[in-house]
Amino acid sequence: MSTGESREPKMFTGASRKCVKNPSLFTELPPISDPLSSETETSKIQRETANSCLPFLRGDDDGGPIGPLTSWGVPRLQKAQHLEYLYDSLEDYPTHFVGIDSSRPWMVYWALAGLSLLGEDITAYRQRVISTFAPMQNPTGGFGGGHGQFSHCASSFAATLCLAMVGGTDAFKLIDRKAMWRWLGDLKLSNGGFQVCTGGEGISGEEDVRGAYCAMTIISLLDLPIDLPPEAEARRHGLRMFSSGLPEYLSRCQTFEGGISGSPGTEAHGAYAFCALACLCILGRPEDTIKNYMDVPLLLSWLSARQYSPEGGLSGRTNKLVDGCYSHWVGGCWPLLQSALNGAQAASASVSPSVASLYSREGLARYILGCCQGPNGGLRDKPGKSPDSYHTCYTLCGLSVLQNYHYHTDSSPSLGGIFSSAFSWHYSPILTPSDFEPDENVFDEDDRVTAFHPVYTIPHRAAENMRAWCEHEKIAI
Amino acid sequence: MSSGKYAQSPEWADIDPIPLDDGNGDGIIPLATIAYPPSYTEATSYLRAVMAVNEMSDRALKLTEDIIRINPAHYTVWLYRAKIIKELDKKLTDEIDWLNRVSGENLKNYQIWHHRQIIVSRLRDSLTEESDFLTEERDFLMDIFARDSKNYHVWIYRHWLVRHFNLWEDERETLDVETLIDRDVHNNSAWNHRYVLRFSPRDGPEAGMPENSGPGLKRGQLAVVDEYIVDAELEYAEDKIRLAPENRSPWHYARGVLRAAKLPLSKWKRFASKFIIEEIDDADNIIKVHVKSSLALELLADVYAEEAQAKGAEAERDKTVNDDAEEAQAEGAEAGRDKTVNDNAEAQAGAEAERDKTVNDAVRMLTLLKEEYDPIRKNYWDYKMRLVTRLSSLSTAA
Ligand SMILES: [Zn+2]
Repeated sequence: MSTGESREPKMFTGASRKCVKNPSLFTELPPISDPLSSETETSKIQRETANSCLPFLRGDDDGGPIGPLTSWGVPRLQKAQHLEYLYDSLEDYPTHFVGIDSSRPWMVYWALAGLSLLGEDITAYRQRVISTFAPMQNPTGGFGGGHGQFSHCASSFAATLCLAMVGGTDAFKLIDRKAMWRWLGDLKLSNGGFQVCTGGEGISGEEDVRGAYCAMTIISLLDLPIDLPPEAEARRHGLRMFSSGLPEYLSRCQTFEGGISGSPGTEAHGAYAFCALACLCILGRPEDTIKNYMDVPLLLSWLSARQYSPEGGLSGRTNKLVDGCYSHWVGGCWPLLQSALNGAQAASASVSPSVASLYSREGLARYILGCCQGPNGGLRDKPGKSPDSYHTCYTLCGLSVLQNYHYHTDSSPSLGGIFSSAFSWHYSPILTPSDFEPDENVFDEDDRVTAFHPVYTIPHRAAENMRAWCEHEKIAI
Repeated sequence: MSSGKYAQSPEWADIDPIPLDDGNGDGIIPLATIAYPPSYTEATSYLRAVMAVNEMSDRALKLTEDIIRINPAHYTVWLYRAKIIKELDKKLTDEIDWLNRVSGENLKNYQIWHHRQIIVSRLRDSLTEESDFLTEERDFLMDIFARDSKNYHVWIYRHWLVRHFNLWEDERETLDVETLIDRDVHNNSAWNHRYVLRFSPRDGPEAGMPENSGPGLKRGQLAVVDEYIVDAELEYAEDKIRLAPENRSPWHYARGVLRAAKLPLSKWKRFASKFIIEEIDDADNIIKVHVKSSLALELLADVYAEEAQAKGAEAERDKTVNDDAEEAQAEGAEAGRDKTVNDNAEAQAGAEAERDKTVNDAVRMLTLLKEEYDPIRKNYWDYKMRLVTRLSSLSTAA
C-alpha cells in the first residue's frame, strides 16, 4: 500500500464522505483467480495492484479520497492543484532532471495540453513557446529535442502541436514548412513506414508506428505536399507519396492478438495502437481506412480486454498492469473505432449513434478520479507512483474522452483538402441518463474538461486554425 | 565554462565550443528549462561544435561516452557515436562489450537497443562460422530478461535479431522462449515471440500478421501450415492453460494458431468446455454453472457465434432453393416439385432451429460474462450479443 500518500483533510466534509454508490465490481477482486500454485511475478503484481487500488475505489479512509466524493462515491477533480502542478512543470527543473534534456518539447506539450484540458487560456505563453522552440529547429528541417540535436519526429510533433495550441501568425510562421517537408521525406521508408529520425549517411533511427503518426500529423496540420520530395530515398523504391504503402504497413502491425505493435512482428501495445488508428484516421475516413486495413472484430476484442476490474483503468498490453496514461492511448482508440463502426454522421443530426461506448466509461472515470490523482496535484500511473506531466496530460486526455461523444461528419468540409475527414470531427458532451449511453456519468458536472480533437490531441479550434492558416499561406515548392 | 574538463584539456584547445541556446534571450524566459550540471553543459557545447563540422575522431567518440553517461536518453549523441564507429572502422565487438557493461544500468533506455542493432547489423559480415557471437548475444539477452522480462525495446531487438540472422529454426530461440514462459506463464511478450517464430512470414524485409498470403485467405491465415506444428502448439497452449486457466496469453495464442491454420474455433470447443461445468436437474434445466475460466466462456461465445453463422448460411441456402422451387411451382411446373419444396422447407426449418439454438448458447455465454465473470466489459458483451442475436432475427424476419 502507498503509505506515503498524504490526504487533504482540510477539504473533507463529513456528509459527503458517505459513498452512495460504489458497486462491488469496483470494490472486490474478480470472481475467478488462478490457483496460488500457478502464481507468477505477473499475477502477483496484478493482485497487489488491484489490492492497492481498492481503498481508493471504495473511498475508504486508508486509501484516502482527496476531498468530498460525488454522489457516486467518486472523488472530485482537484483542478486547482493540477493547475498548480502543470504551471510549475513549465518552469525550471533541478539538476537531476538532466535526463529529460531531449524531451523538453514533450514537457512543454504535456503541460500546455494539460492546462488546455483544464480550461486555461494558454495563448499568453505564445512568446515563450516561440522562444523555446526556435533554437530547436534545424535549418535542414524539423525540430530536435533541443539546441544542436537531430530533428526527431516526436519533437517536431510536440513543437507543431504546441505552436498550434498557442496559435497566432507568429507561432505558425516559426515553422520552416518547406524544410520540414524535405526532412520528413528522408524519414519515409521503402516498406511504407517511417523512421523517427535519421543520423544521415546510412545511420537510421528506429522505425515504428509513432514515426508514421507524427509525420502524418505534421503533414496534415501544416498542409505540406503529400508528394515525397524529389530527393527522398523512398522514391528510388517506387514510392511517390508520404502515404504510399502506409496503410498496408499499419495493417501489418496488427498482431494475432488483435492489437497493434510498434513495428510488424512485435507485441501489441496500446500506445502504438492509438498511433496507428489515428494515422489511419488522417489518411481517410475511419469507416474506410480502419475497416479496410484492420480486422475490426479482433481489434475490438483486444481493446476491450485492456480494461480490468476492480481497477476500472486500462492496461497497455495483455497481462500488464493498468496505468493512467493508457486512459489516452487505449481510451483514445475507442472514439476512433466507434466512428469506424458508425460511419460519418450528419453534422446537424441529433446525437444518437447506433454503436455507443463499448468500454466502461464509469470504470475509467473511477480509476482516473479515484486512483490517479496525486495528493498534491498532478496525476499518476497508479497509486504509489509519483505524478509527472506525461501522466497528468494523458490521464486528463482520457477523462476528456470518456466525457464526450466524438464523431466525424460528411458535411461538405471546407478544410483539410485530401485530409478533409481528419478535419470533420465533432463532439457533444455525454449527458446521462442518456438514450444511448449505457453508463452513468459518475463525475461531477463541474469536473468536465475540454474536448480534444480525437486524432490530433489538441483543441479542435487549434487544429483547424493552424490548418486554415497554412492552407492560406501555401508554400511554393 | 573555462574551468571545465574540456576547456582545460590541450586536446580540445582547437575547438570553440558552441554554447547552449535554450531560448533564453530578449528577456523572454523559455519553458521547461533545466539547471544542467556544469559538466553536461560543457560537454554538450563541445558536442555541438564537433558535430557542426562532422568531426570523426577518437576524441569525439570519448566525448559521446561522457555525455551518454550523464544523459543516456540523448538520442543525437547515440547516432553520432554510431557514425563515428562506422567512419573510423572501430572494432565492433569492443563496442558491444561496452554496451554490455552499460546496458544493465540503463534498462529503461531504448536508444541503447537501437544502437546495438546498428552495430550488430554491421557485425554480420565479419562473423565467421565458428563465432560464438549469437550464443553470447542470447546469453546476454537472457540476463536482461531475467531483470526485465517484458522490456518492449529488448523484445524488438530480439525479433530483429531473429529476422536479421535468420534464426527461425534456431533451437535456442524456442529454448529461451520456453524458459521465460516456464518462469512466468503470464509473460505475453514471450508468447508473442513464440508466435512470431512459428507463424510469422519469414520472407521479405519484415512481417506482422500475415496478410495477402494467398488468394482467398483472410488476414492472419497462412497458405501452408505444418499440421504437426499446429497440433504441437495447440497442445502447448492447452498445457499452459491447465496451469492457470485465467491467463489470457495462451488463449490468445491458441486463437492465433487456429486462425493461421484456417481451423474453426470449434476445434477448441471440447477443451474450453472443460472449464465450464453445468449442473443439470432431472428436467434438463441448468441449475448452476461453475466457471473456472472467463476466457473459456469468451471462446465458447465465439464458437457458438461462428456455428450460428454457419447454420444461418445453411438455412439461407435452403431457403433460396425452396423459394426457387416455389417459384417454379407457381409458374405451373410439374406436381413432383411439391416434394422438393417440402424437403427444403424441412431442411430450412431444421437449420434455422439449430441456428437459433446456437445463438441462444452464445447469448448464454455472453450473459455469464456480462453479469458475473467479466462485467467491466459489459458494454462490449452487449454489443456482441446484439450482433449474434441479429443472426437469428435476420431470415426469420424475411
Ligand atoms: Zn504510464
